[in-house]
Amino acid sequence: MTESHATLAHAEPMVDVRIVALHGDRHELPWLRALGLYEGQEVKVLRRAPFGGPMHVRVGAGGEFAVDVALAGHIEVETVTRPVGT
Amino acid sequence: MGRPNTGKSSLYNRVTGGSARVGNFPGITVDVLEATVELEGSKGALRVVDLPGLYSFDSELDADTDEGAARAFIEREQRDNAPFAVLQVLDATQLSLSLRLTKELLGQASRVALVLTQSDVLASEGRTCDVAALSKAVGVEVIAVSSREASTRDAVIALAQRVLDGPARELSAGTFDPEQVARAVLSDTATVDEQQRKRREFTERLDRWLLHRTLGPALFVLTMVLLFGAVFLVAEPASGAMDATTKWLGAKLSPRLGGGYLASFVTDGIIGGAGTVLAFLPQIVVLTIALELLDASGYLARGVFLIDRLLRVFGLGGKAFVPLLTAHACAVPAIRATRILRDPRERLVTLLVLPLMTCSARLPTYSLLISTFFAHRGALFQATVFVSLFAAGVLSGAVASAVLRKTVVRGRPLPLVLEMPAYRAPEPAFVRKATARGVRNFLSDVGTTIVAASAVLWVLLNVPMPGAAVDPSLQNAPAAVVRVNRSVAASFGRALEPVTRFAGFDWRINVGLVGSFGARELMVGTLGVIHGLEDVGDDPTPLRAQLRAARTADGRPRYDTRTALSLMVFFIFACQCMSTVAALRRETRSWRWPLFVLAYTYVVAFVAAAIVYNVAGWFSR
Repeated sequence: MTESHATLAHAEPMVDVRIVALHGDRHELPWLRALGLYEGQEVKVLRRAPFGGPMHVRVGAGGEFAVDVALAGHIEVETVTRPVGT
Repeated sequence: MGRPNTGKSSLYNRVTGGSARVGNFPGITVDVLEATVELEGSKGALRVVDLPGLYSFDSELDADTDEGAARAFIEREQRDNAPFAVLQVLDATQLSLSLRLTKELLGQASRVALVLTQSDVLASEGRTCDVAALSKAVGVEVIAVSSREASTRDAVIALAQRVLDGPARELSAGTFDPEQVARAVLSDTATVDEQQRKRREFTERLDRWLLHRTLGPALFVLTMVLLFGAVFLVAEPASGAMDATTKWLGAKLSPRLGGGYLASFVTDGIIGGAGTVLAFLPQIVVLTIALELLDASGYLARGVFLIDRLLRVFGLGGKAFVPLLTAHACAVPAIRATRILRDPRERLVTLLVLPLMTCSARLPTYSLLISTFFAHRGALFQATVFVSLFAAGVLSGAVASAVLRKTVVRGRPLPLVLEMPAYRAPEPAFVRKATARGVRNFLSDVGTTIVAASAVLWVLLNVPMPGAAVDPSLQNAPAAVVRVNRSVAASFGRALEPVTRFAGFDWRINVGLVGSFGARELMVGTLGVIHGLEDVGDDPTPLRAQLRAARTADGRPRYDTRTALSLMVFFIFACQCMSTVAALRRETRSWRWPLFVLAYTYVVAFVAAAIVYNVAGWFSR
């Protein structure tokens, strides 16, 4: 079930979101996908570095990453809502 | 090969018994470890290579970076039709990510097998991986191992042999879906999230403190201050011990070599130069150990996370922090450390500004000038000058980087994407080996250049300039002083005087600058020689007295606070280090950038020194 479309840059901390699309150039896209940031993946923002620094995110496939905020703005996400009890 | 942080190096150590050495591969400058493993029953030997971690074959990479080297190595071996097999190491706890790389690898190499690590971790969590199903899905042989078990070595070697002896596959990227395969082969997947969550708890707890918005940066600064403290704590006694050793060795050797020119050349030129290099070694060891511990524990990635925003202001990224920090001990290992930077432009700018950081080789000159000309101001003032010099190095690097990013090296920087590994205890064996590697690299990179610079300087200071007249005021001076006065170096110094007097440098200081062109650590010793003093490295007190007492023909002090300030400013900027120039040449594979660094740092150094000298003149009137 989905609620809203936004980018990872605007995702609330500690809220599960799912990547729906990646927008970027040919340098960025393969690299992002290789790291585990690809369409369908669930991501959670853990924290943001001070003064508009990078975001600390956890990816569903395993692994945590520091992601530049501008780059996170190229990652389109939707909020994941789970049925109560799971 | 495999993604970073998959346990690749642990497995490699298990297979090779830790006997790795840095391999020499044409076209690859990055350290690629290799070892030879003898096969049982005299069946020959296998050459085992540990490639740097790689995320993807598809993204564009500079071949001089760690990742680029791994990809270039596989592409070259495949192209050359070499008898080689690629064993990809997969972390069983992050299987789908590793399988994405497998998919690409199958299109790059024809003899491939997979080695699943962390199977012991899986087992301890009550999970299993269906190796046969995984092998069937991917289309190549798979084994599951634990690097902690001794039997792993034989299993991996046998696998390599089977793949080498078996038929070569057609090159074609895999068609499987990594996530589906991962889900299908891991049993008990319903609890994966729960198990992983448990393992993450420790990291989460630490991150709450270490990445806290205010406490995090403060703790990071504190860690760096402690690291610096440790580096400088060893600096002083180390150089003292090395001076004593070279002096002792010189005294032993000099009589055997007849005590003349040859003895002086060998003891002052060669052994003295070698001693200078070795005096830096303890600092390099401390810094390498500290950085390895921080890296292996997972904290270095947190540091990059915290400092990225600040460095972006100057056109660099968080990862540039590691080479910039290293450059405060020595620029040469820092130049190697830029290989972790994926962005070629960021890497180039980092290389170009590294020589501005306050390396340890500047410290003897700073210390001499401060203690000579600011002694009357008290300890706190002197300490402030010292700290200001460090700050000036960092600031000039930041400004230079911002300017270069807008002029010479334009272009959008690659945004930061960095894996933040879970915290773990560093393995002592890794740290030991990395340190040994750091020491070896330092000696080979710096050693020959400084010894050569020291030898050339000896020649310049001792060979008389044809036709050079002796200053009449030196009639009663010691022979050594007369010799230096007539030397080639002194003639250079005098020839430069009409220009350098704008910065307050007379010919004697110029000789020091000529002497320290190859290696700035030779400055204090050269100034000592000019003033007829030997071994000022041990005790600069007589040199301090001479510098303070020196008078010009009209009786005014020859050197004063203005001269000291001007000379310090010159040392902040000038790239007086041929080892750095040679390392830049190696990393950029051209003379263009090292010559650019020499040109811009010397021009800025001289102009800034002249400005400071003249502005200070207005204040002292």
